[in-house]
Amino acid sequence: MTLLPPRLYVDVHILQTVPPANLNRDDQGNPKEAYYGGTRRSRVSSQAWKRATRMHFTEYMPADDLATRTRRVASDLTCALRTRTGLEEEPASRLADALLAPLKISAGRKRGDTAYLLFYGRRQLDNVVGLVGDRAAELAALDDKDLQAEVEQLAVEEQFSTGHPLDVALFGRMVADIAALRVDAAVQVAHALSTHAVSLEFDYFTAVDDLVEEERETGAGMIGSIGFNSATLYRYATVSLQQLRENLGNDAAAVDGTRKFLTSFARSVPSGYRNSFAHQTLPSLVSVVVRSDQPVNLVTAYEKPVAPSAGIAAESARCLAEEHRTAVDGWGEAPAFSAVCHAFRDETAQCLEEAFGPAVTFPELLNGLDEYLSSAIAEAGR
Amino acid sequence: MSPAASDVPDRAGPGDRAVLVLRLAAPLQSWGAQGAFNVRDTRPEPTKSGVTGLLAAALGLPRGAPLDELLALRMGVRADVPGTLLRDYHAVSDFRGHPLPQAGVSAKGVQKPTAPAKYTHVTSRYYLQDALFVAALEGPPELLNRLVAALRAPHFFLALGRRSCPPTQPLVLGIENGDLESVLRGLPWQASERAKNSYARKLGRRRGLDGPFRPATVPCSVTLEHADGDDVLQDVPLTFDPHDRAFLGRRVRQEWLRVHTGFSDPDAATEIEADQDIHDPFELLGR
Repeated sequence: MTLLPPRLYVDVHILQTVPPANLNRDDQGNPKEAYYGGTRRSRVSSQAWKRATRMHFTEYMPADDLATRTRRVASDLTCALRTRTGLEEEPASRLADALLAPLKISAGRKRGDTAYLLFYGRRQLDNVVGLVGDRAAELAALDDKDLQAEVEQLAVEEQFSTGHPLDVALFGRMVADIAALRVDAAVQVAHALSTHAVSLEFDYFTAVDDLVEEERETGAGMIGSIGFNSATLYRYATVSLQQLRENLGNDAAAVDGTRKFLTSFARSVPSGYRNSFAHQTLPSLVSVVVRSDQPVNLVTAYEKPVAPSAGIAAESARCLAEEHRTAVDGWGEAPAFSAVCHAFRDETAQCLEEAFGPAVTFPELLNGLDEYLSSAIAEAGR
Repeated sequence: MSPAASDVPDRAGPGDRAVLVLRLAAPLQSWGAQGAFNVRDTRPEPTKSGVTGLLAAALGLPRGAPLDELLALRMGVRADVPGTLLRDYHAVSDFRGHPLPQAGVSAKGVQKPTAPAKYTHVTSRYYLQDALFVAALEGPPELLNRLVAALRAPHFFLALGRRSCPPTQPLVLGIENGDLESVLRGLPWQASERAKNSYARKLGRRRGLDGPFRPATVPCSVTLEHADGDDVLQDVPLTFDPHDRAFLGRRVRQEWLRVHTGFSDPDAATEIEADQDIHDPFELLGR
């Protein structure tokens, strides 16, 4: 692997309180849980939060810069060929199939489908169309054998293995039968766990039938129950700057990608039962710690669950600060850079300042990180 | 808290074999062995392929790289806290809202759509929650030193069997002299203070004592690689090349070790007394 120095891991620690909610449910419809430190915790799976992050990207990034995760790569390509070259449906579809043939992606049940979801960038598809250029009509007129020979001259696979969109570069791509299309993820996301013991609650509800009520009859139209809990979650993710540079092929893009990931990871919330619980909150603490040795997950701060009497969010923040100091003193090197943005006051704020430095606003935190990463890369290049 | 990695002296002498001791702990870990498709299982303890993968990631080996050097390390795993099984429900749908195909194929090898239409496909991922293992690797000191350096500054992310399971620190407990078995026997119990105290309280209650009972030792199960072992585990990877997945078997011996609990004031119970902690169905009736 040709990963260039510097090796930097950007650890993200977030504390976020959600009111009664059911963000991520299991097969019983109840919020996911796990046992940690012998007590029951609320859990939101890493997959759920990664998807929420990806969906948040669409709010501020142009669709062209993002990836699509679909089985319809062939029909998508057909569509792009038709708009760009003016071919008819039939020849465009034949040309699309021929262009994708060298990739050897197993075909799906339906025409135009692949056997699994392929995660690719809109720009990558445009580049494939670009390879054909003005020759679309000429190529479409060839017979199967000549077309195959012509297409083999074009670097289709290369288009899919370079210039990845940010979401593919961050979360990786696994294509079981084509090693060249595989992208190693540049971010590792842990399952979010509550910092305290949580028990499952049920909201028993009855829905009233308006017309029946007018007739002064009693009884509910329907009854049911929804499982929920409320939790202060510890969320952890780490970005490998080195891997992200490798995936994006560009220093500035990697620094910018880290910033975008941080923005969307911090601001997104999985949308499960959002209309029932309106659980959209913002984190009460976001901390970034850049380390040149190894990522350090601070979930051990909550192995002993935070007691409710102490004020859960503030106590969670103090535990995090303490665990961070233990980590720095005990193992691993001192962090290369750290910053924190939070909503705490007094003693808690002081604890956090001692551990992570003075509190800044979220944009300041992003700018500071940006500046640090850019200068670290510039220095390594010298 | 167990001693920090940097405080653990490197006790490896000049001999040609030493033992690297790793502490594998996190809220969730998952050591898959057979799971494929919709069910992703976990073994009850770390597998050789999982631990080899962790080491290879630290070293930055590419997926197709030969693993002979790492596979030659003799592995022993001690379950300090075995944890419990967690099933994670994971649903998959077709994003266009189309019904999903049937699991089976027709004689023509075609998957028919489900009837009645089924829109969500359920996969189950199994994890071990709240578990803590000690993995010991016996091999040449030169390689072990290289591994310690790599684990403290890993090339790729480290994970306990699955990427969403980052390890907690300290991961490396150090390099010890001696053979696998004596190192695993001698290393004190790694459970957290909290887990230790809750064990002592439970033991005290079970014995009808007023306070906690802090035995000098605790039984821990171990799995040791051994040429004459009775069991075979099919978890030795040939390579991590996704095109060439194949696993060989290794012979292991399973046993129980009495491990020092490290309680500062252990109750003056002999090891034999701790062994008598057996199930007595008549206890419920009272005597």
